[in-house]
Amino acid sequence: MRNPLGWLLLTLFSLLFFAFIYAPLAVIIGYSFNANPINMMIWDGFTLDWYRGLFGFADRTADPNSRALYVESTDQLIAALKNSLIVAAVTTSVSTVLGTATAIALARYRFRLRGFYRGFLLLPMMMPDIVLGIGLLIFFVTLGMKLSLLTIIIGHCTFLTSYVFIIVQARIAGIDPALEEASADLGASEWVTLRKVLLPQLAPGIVGGALLAFVISMDDLVITYFIAGTDSTTLPVFIFGMIRRGVKPEINAIATLLILASVLIAALGLWLRSRKIDK
Amino acid sequence: MTGLLEIRGARRSFATPEGGRIAALDGVDLDVGANEFVTLLGPSGCGKTTLLRSISGFEALDAGVIRLDGRDIGALPPFRRPVNTVFQSYALFGHMSVARNVGYALEVGGVARAERERAVAEALDKVGLAGFGARRPSQLSGGQRQRVALARAIIGRPRILLLDEPLSALDRNLRQQMQLELKTLQHNLGIAFVFVTHDQEEALTMSDRIVVMRAGRIEQQGSPRDIFRHPRTRFVAEFIGETNLFDVTVDRIEGEVAIGRTAEGLELRLPGAGLTVGRRATAVLRPADFRLAEAGLPVTITRSVYLGQDLNLFAAPAPGGPEIRVTARDAADAPEVGARVHLAYDAAAVHLLEGA
Repeated sequence: MRNPLGWLLLTLFSLLFFAFIYAPLAVIIGYSFNANPINMMIWDGFTLDWYRGLFGFADRTADPNSRALYVESTDQLIAALKNSLIVAAVTTSVSTVLGTATAIALARYRFRLRGFYRGFLLLPMMMPDIVLGIGLLIFFVTLGMKLSLLTIIIGHCTFLTSYVFIIVQARIAGIDPALEEASADLGASEWVTLRKVLLPQLAPGIVGGALLAFVISMDDLVITYFIAGTDSTTLPVFIFGMIRRGVKPEINAIATLLILASVLIAALGLWLRSRKIDK
Repeated sequence: MTGLLEIRGARRSFATPEGGRIAALDGVDLDVGANEFVTLLGPSGCGKTTLLRSISGFEALDAGVIRLDGRDIGALPPFRRPVNTVFQSYALFGHMSVARNVGYALEVGGVARAERERAVAEALDKVGLAGFGARRPSQLSGGQRQRVALARAIIGRPRILLLDEPLSALDRNLRQQMQLELKTLQHNLGIAFVFVTHDQEEALTMSDRIVVMRAGRIEQQGSPRDIFRHPRTRFVAEFIGETNLFDVTVDRIEGEVAIGRTAEGLELRLPGAGLTVGRRATAVLRPADFRLAEAGLPVTITRSVYLGQDLNLFAAPAPGGPEIRVTARDAADAPEVGARVHLAYDAAAVHLLEGA
């Protein structure tokens, strides 16, 4: 090594950096297995009770300690998760189609106000969540729409379309327009060219944009908080509601499961990407 | 020559960033015969690529007619025109195998799989890539990709194959090899080729006819020998091969030979037919037209560039004036820099530019 001291400092810095990022997650995962129901800072032995509670397997009435369990009903949690998944699935589909179509239109066709549209599409991303949330709420109320899953879906689509647009646009910028010309030259109509050449070339970007949209939609709290009706709570809103009554062990278990789900989705995305590149 | 492609009065202009308009095609008439190898040659910005793209359908003409087999194809979109293109960047589909790339025209044309596979194998064989069908374009070398692009473009048996500077990315040896192969392929296929290049050597090697373009117009067209030996304008003379140009005024007539004199006082012997004393003309002499001799034009060698078999000599004429380029065989008695020698040439071989 050129400079052993520098090397040591760099190693130390890197370790500290990763510790800084991952320590909070590690703490949550660790405490989700802590048997102490009252003070989770004190380790009281290993348990899977909180996970059992989440999935409705724990027998609360038999155990006096189960007073501490405050997931009032597993059904509520499952319902929130279901809502989140429905919202994320629909939002991802809609915003992926819209974002991709817009990116293609802006990259491949010339029309008036093209630059204006581009800037306009980026605006929802820049906008503070709280402003967007309030704005959407007022908008829905003015229209007389009842807050429901539909309003959440519409709200999410407004800014997730921008995310998909940005990612697909970056991909399309790297594609040689001659590819589409070659396809047309060889007898393919615009539709066939889109299906056989452009979309396959864009696939990594589209998949990446869709995964990002899915994760953000699943995770969004601030905007959803404003536009979710009482019977359409999503998982983040539900967890936020739980936390307001104190951080309890079940939260750790839920968080751990969420981390697991996120890692799986991220791994899927990376795997799809590498598969495309290998080809 | 039967008329296959007929272009009349083609015009196309583009907006410049400064707000003006620039004519990429300024009234071009072009005919291409069946089975003819036509090269569009010119510097960048001369309109040759615009002309090619208006044949393939990627550029619409502002005015003019394009007829193929007597049928007006000007309004047809690219995918309905019976011409195919080999793109400069090859434009191979990276997400498809080589075989699927080559068979693409048949795939979108609805040809059955078995027939397609047979045709793909045949096309790959024609370009010397038999057995490469399962690979991805990214697993091929530049020269191989070039061949895939070629196979993909000829599989649909187009009426005309358009080639947009397809050899510019290849190294010199490969380029020369491909030049010969393209010519052979064109001969075997019996398809007309329209080839765009800015490389005059490429144009001279392959073409039946060279069309020299400049600023949206056709400057001159003819066989390679015709273009090289008898350029009609200063531009063509300078663009095709190295050349020496002398602006002379006819000083006197001596029988068959006219004597022209440059402003510096250098005297040149010219073919006398049609010249009168006092006429101004531009004489074209190729470097290889000169020989080192005992008598003739007195010059001093100023530079000598070694080319292998030949030497490129730069010689300053004794009366003064621009340097003369001379090609000489490299030999033991080749003149050194500083040597005073004489240059001989055949007066009948001197070409005079029209209207100069």
